[in-house]
Amino acid sequence: MARNQALFDAILGGKRKDAARITQECVDANINVQELLNESMIPAMREMGDRFSRNEVFVPEMLIAARAMKAGLEIIEPLLVQSGMEPRARVAIGTVKGDLHDIGKNLVAMMLRGAGYDVLDLGVDIEADKFAEAADQGVKIIMLSALLTTTMQYMKEVVDHLEGRNDIKIIIGGAPVTADYAKEIGAHAYGRDANDAVKIVDALVGVA
Amino acid sequence: MRIKLISCEVFTREVCWAIARSPNEVSVEFLPKGLHDLGAPRMFARIREIFEAVDETKYDAVAMGYGLCNNGLVGLAARTIPVVIPRAHDCIALFLGSKERYLDAFNANPATYYLTSGWIERSAPDAQLSQFSIKEQLGMNMTWEELVEKYGEDNAEYLWDQLVDHAKHYNRLGYIEMGVEPDSRFEEFAKARAQEKKWRFEKMRGDLSLIRRLVDGDWNEEDFLVIQPGYKLATRHDASIVEALPAE
Repeated sequence: MARNQALFDAILGGKRKDAARITQECVDANINVQELLNESMIPAMREMGDRFSRNEVFVPEMLIAARAMKAGLEIIEPLLVQSGMEPRARVAIGTVKGDLHDIGKNLVAMMLRGAGYDVLDLGVDIEADKFAEAADQGVKIIMLSALLTTTMQYMKEVVDHLEGRNDIKIIIGGAPVTADYAKEIGAHAYGRDANDAVKIVDALVGVA
Repeated sequence: MRIKLISCEVFTREVCWAIARSPNEVSVEFLPKGLHDLGAPRMFARIREIFEAVDETKYDAVAMGYGLCNNGLVGLAARTIPVVIPRAHDCIALFLGSKERYLDAFNANPATYYLTSGWIERSAPDAQLSQFSIKEQLGMNMTWEELVEKYGEDNAEYLWDQLVDHAKHYNRLGYIEMGVEPDSRFEEFAKARAQEKKWRFEKMRGDLSLIRRLVDGDWNEEDFLVIQPGYKLATRHDASIVEALPAE
């Protein structure tokens, strides 16, 4: 099956109702939902992410595209489960203790879902213990977000707390965070923006 | 001592109060509030432009009325005279009088939105600045009407909820009274804002000592970083917040 252009366009244009309607029509026509996901929905979000990286679209466009994708995904999710399809990997994300600013974190979570990941969104103001608990729930990647220089220092405590968990990779991001800081505290990677974060997760779990 | 003070205008009343009482001869230049909204590279460019225009032959030191301010001062290099900056993440430490008190207040309730006279009366966004703000760049500065026009009502509702109300997890408004206010007008404004946002209102006592010591030249190692010529400002990811590193 080739790309369903109407669905691709509906997602890219943030048209939630169109995306749901077209998806439902495909389901009713017994179209393979795995192919629909992999060849129309995920590529639409990937295209959106690339446009964002090229400064052609901005945060609102990305958010409504992810929302449109979600509308379609909800329809095919039960069928994907039935078909035995496994999500790419389980990823946990949260803003660190003391940080209540979640716009960036929410955006990264949505883009990851749009890329086919199972995202455990822990929320805001998350202590190291909670991230460790997520590590015990089949999560392969833990993503930490902070907006303030006051709170980003807590990222080090989370990294230290997870020391020895060689099965877990830690990615950090947020306005004051840098690649140098990731190196300094021993995090595995730094995500510059939401699209970059998805690409880093892809690389860490071995998705081409 | 002759000091050139480059300060965020959010400290206008406090800094003027402190300069009036200082033994030093202090020349102050206020820059618009909200530079931190530009993101670190643009904020730094603005600060550096003003900083490098200072005729250093006229002064013994340059003092910065700033904190780390989202890394907007990182890289600032002393030229021929020392540069001094309070060890603070942002202005709230300067209003509360110490980084330790700010840390305690922050840890006690991170969901606090702070207001002072400067935050209230200097709140109108500078049109020239705001076009370069991160929020503007990210499309987070739109009105409800603009959202509806551009994305339709269904998406506008969603975007409003996701993007525009950036303080939705806050639950307390901390009004810091510095003791330099003319009357209760700022407190009343803050109370009304708290009510409108459904946040708990709390009046906090400000402490002018850090701002006063900044202009008085009372710069101990614990609370201030003095950058000597040949060194530049860098972040330190611990309680000391900032450090001086060789400029080259």
